[in-house]
Amino acid sequence: MTDDTDAHTDRDRDRDADADTDTDADRDTQTDTETETKTKPATDDSSRLPAIGPGRLALYGALLALVIGYLSPLYGGLTTAFKTQEAYRETSPLQPPIEGITVDPWVTAGGELAMGMINSFALTIPAAVFSALLGSLAAYGLTKVNWRGQAFLLALFLAAVFIPYQAVLVPLRQFWSIVDISGLHERGELVELIITHIAYGTPICTVLFRSYYQTLDDELIEAARLDGASLARIYRKIVLPLSVPMFAVTLIYQFTQIWNDFLFALVLLSDRANYVVTLELNALQGAMATDYGVQMAGAFIAALPTILVYIMFGEQFAKGQTM
Amino acid sequence: MDSLRNSLRRLNPLSETATEQSQGTQTQGSLAGRLRDSDFVESMPFWLPPTLLVLLFVYGAIAWNIAISFTGWSGLGQPEYTDLSLEMYRQLPADQNFRASLWNTILLLITFTGSSLVVGLGLALLVDRKIRFENTFRTIYLLPMALSFVVTAIFWSWMYASNGVINTTLNVFGLDLLTHNWIGNPQFKLAAVIVALIWQFSGYCMIVYLAGLRAIPDEHYEAARIDGASTLKLYWRVIIPQLRSSTIGAVVVLMVFALKAFDFIYVMFGTNPGRSVDILAVTMYREAFSSSQWAYGAAIAVVLFALALTIIGPYAYTQYKRGAL
Amino acid sequence: MLQATGALGLAAAAGCLGGGNEAEPLDELLEEDPDEFESVEIGHWWTADAEAEAFEALVEGFEEEYPDITVESSPSPGGAGSALEADIRNRVVDQDPPSTFQVWPGQALADYTADDLLYDIEGHVWNDEMEEAYLDGPIEVARPDGDFVAVPINIHRLNNLFYNVNVIEDSGIDPESIDSPSALIDAMETADEAGYVGMAQQTQSSWSTLQLWAQVLLGEYGTDVYDSVIEGNVEENESEVRDSLELVVDYSEFFNEDASSMNDWDDASDYINSGEAAFFHQGDWAAGQYETDEELAYGDDWDYVPFPGTDGMYVMVIDSFVFPKFNPSPNATVRFLRYAGTADAQERFNQAKGSIPPRTDVSDEAFTPFLQDQMADFEESDEQPPSIAHGLAVAPDIQTEVEGAFANFIDNWDVDETYNELGNSFQ
Repeated sequence: MTDDTDAHTDRDRDRDADADTDTDADRDTQTDTETETKTKPATDDSSRLPAIGPGRLALYGALLALVIGYLSPLYGGLTTAFKTQEAYRETSPLQPPIEGITVDPWVTAGGELAMGMINSFALTIPAAVFSALLGSLAAYGLTKVNWRGQAFLLALFLAAVFIPYQAVLVPLRQFWSIVDISGLHERGELVELIITHIAYGTPICTVLFRSYYQTLDDELIEAARLDGASLARIYRKIVLPLSVPMFAVTLIYQFTQIWNDFLFALVLLSDRANYVVTLELNALQGAMATDYGVQMAGAFIAALPTILVYIMFGEQFAKGQTM
Repeated sequence: MDSLRNSLRRLNPLSETATEQSQGTQTQGSLAGRLRDSDFVESMPFWLPPTLLVLLFVYGAIAWNIAISFTGWSGLGQPEYTDLSLEMYRQLPADQNFRASLWNTILLLITFTGSSLVVGLGLALLVDRKIRFENTFRTIYLLPMALSFVVTAIFWSWMYASNGVINTTLNVFGLDLLTHNWIGNPQFKLAAVIVALIWQFSGYCMIVYLAGLRAIPDEHYEAARIDGASTLKLYWRVIIPQLRSSTIGAVVVLMVFALKAFDFIYVMFGTNPGRSVDILAVTMYREAFSSSQWAYGAAIAVVLFALALTIIGPYAYTQYKRGAL
Repeated sequence: MLQATGALGLAAAAGCLGGGNEAEPLDELLEEDPDEFESVEIGHWWTADAEAEAFEALVEGFEEEYPDITVESSPSPGGAGSALEADIRNRVVDQDPPSTFQVWPGQALADYTADDLLYDIEGHVWNDEMEEAYLDGPIEVARPDGDFVAVPINIHRLNNLFYNVNVIEDSGIDPESIDSPSALIDAMETADEAGYVGMAQQTQSSWSTLQLWAQVLLGEYGTDVYDSVIEGNVEENESEVRDSLELVVDYSEFFNEDASSMNDWDDASDYINSGEAAFFHQGDWAAGQYETDEELAYGDDWDYVPFPGTDGMYVMVIDSFVFPKFNPSPNATVRFLRYAGTADAQERFNQAKGSIPPRTDVSDEAFTPFLQDQMADFEESDEQPPSIAHGLAVAPDIQTEVEGAFANFIDNWDVDETYNELGNSFQ
């Protein structure tokens, strides 16, 4: 959502390339220093990489302290998930499970969440694909083809990204009780949820694709049009192939959003056979007796797909979040 | 969108000079002008179905929700749209739970947004200092953003438990006095929620600010240096002002999120979390889906929507006016 | 414009679909001897350990009795029943309910009966034989509006005061002699002085404290005041309500220090297991925690008395089954409900669940000594007041409000504010 600032063309590209190599990270520091002095005036001495002075040490100290802070909830969960009930009671949550180590919580939680995981995949994949596709189509129709009123529609799409879902929950429930897909098939509820996610995912996908298509070369498209190519053909032959990187960004964004959703599932799903993993995880937590080990293991299992996606596609993930 | 545009140059071999060109054609539009009428029709198959879907599910549903809020619908029957009144809205001001949750919502909105921005900017400034392992640091700080609120609520309920991570850590450092019942004591409940949400969202603010920082033209640094500005002044006078647009975008995202921070509170405290941490999103769900007070819940949802609108409206409008859409 | 039209269209469609349908009368739906049965879908939240076993035992017994009918279990775990409640409500509004579902009887059914969504099952399920086997209290909650709509399957008792025998003896307390809720304070003080937690309690979620207040009100002022309050006459009973709240505030001085961060009641009940606390108030499901503790024996290490002042009362927490209209399997449903009302079903179910059968003609042989004592108490009880915290006494919207009032009460222990909120809640 950050707006364009002023001129930043060639030099900007340089800088970005630098930042890029830089983020490829963990490499030799020499080249870094060179590029740095070229692209960005040193704000102070400590920013020269090799000179490990006290300021530099403090910087890394702060960064590491923050890492500990950011990882502590996960760490506390991880140690607890591997402890027997006895070890849980007798050892501090900071202590790694040495005696009384067990995988039982994982087995228990895995058994409870298995069906939910499958349902979550069955929900997330089609919903992400279709919302990305619709977003791409809408953005193409609203960006690469000129007509009046586009901006207004785009404003509606943009505003729709931010709607608090509470404002639509009651009608949504009513709508799906009238358009009763769940009455047709026992998996119908999941279909209702998929369509709901497609509808509410389309605005953000459109906005993402729109900002991308604005940067696409118009000349090629105009030339193709002069040659008499239809809009559909241009989309298929020119725009779609160029959209692949953006599809990666939107698909990852949508996958994460839909996998992590709780509210729509809570309202629309009533048959346990259709519960997605976030609902099952909540049920695990609400069961009669408290077993933190099982809860923590369950939380990790439910989070695993998004964590994997995040680690594998970190750059695309970050891009989807920041636009 | 700077970062995007830059990265696109790398991704797309055709668009070496994409920005200039696309702007050129759009303003000229001589060719497009002639095609305009047929374009509208021809492009319909692309934008119309998604638009209808959004109009129906988003705007239609909002209008429908407003209609329901004018009925007296409760219980397990169906709403009557014949007898409409403002009765639900009349009840709101007298409802102490509503007032408390409105107040909590605003409190959450302001403190959460402000703190996340500050923490995120801090992270961005640290990470932007040409450090080693930058990628690793960034990955770790942003990681919570990839998690579901159900997952984070479960992790944090263990952080905050009486024998959980935070209290144990305090004990280790001999700070027993500071241990508290973080999510039991009403004094701390809302703060506990806010801290956990900052943990989850500050990484997002960090990458927004990082993108902003890296888009600042070098000349600005040069100029400030020639003026002999100190590091602090450099940040204050050059960098911070340049991050305005990043901040605005992030503020909108954070505030709108804060309005609907439902999942976290629901998973941690249930539908009746107590007045100290009740927010409108939870109150709305409780009234509609636990008590079957559908119309009343819809009215609360309208208030929530109005709050969101005061944030989104100006944003979408300025984006529209500036042609940034 | 466009969206407004869309919404109107949808709203109109909703209007048409909403009012039109009428459920068929039960007499016309039921057949004496149908050729085949639909399967009976049962919504419930008995998914954890003992409860799951109890439900399985019930289903097993039913399928033995009716081999032609299959049971389709439809669990909605989570949120201590609130997930099921939300799911069922959604399905009932959609006129697509399961065959039957687990639900608290009494006023908890108010929304269903107000919209006439449950069949009157007198004659089809309830008959003289059945009525004779039930005490008045359970019968009353099975017909909240006068018509029999529910079949109670179990009863948990709420007015128990559990104690650790060793702690009591060590402190020199005689629990039998505590005759009123206010007298309990002295006993807790004694335990406190002897170095024990007076009363184990969790105050993170409100329902335990709501339960406790209801027992205090009953014990101190009896069923007349209690009934009057649950009928909504809070102001008429101002001093009683205030004083009982005041007593709970006094009790809170003797709670374990970590009460407000306890995740659930079972953490609090551990204080009895471990011998750290003298007393614990909870429904008799807590007894399961002691019965399964191999180091504790009933009578020697742990025991209970009726909550002080509630001798002769059996405060009921009940689960029941109902017959929703628009039923997918009327013939199978009616047979299941009939079975749920038999001694066989209730014996199987309650043994595993750790509750007692609503019928008084069930043999107590197969039950634990604790439950045998409870069954004897039940049969001898003069009054069976319904629980507030478990829906029997008040309609769901009132219950939510009352829970909200207590959620604030455990935040601030402010009697004035809570009294006002209770007044508003019952309006």
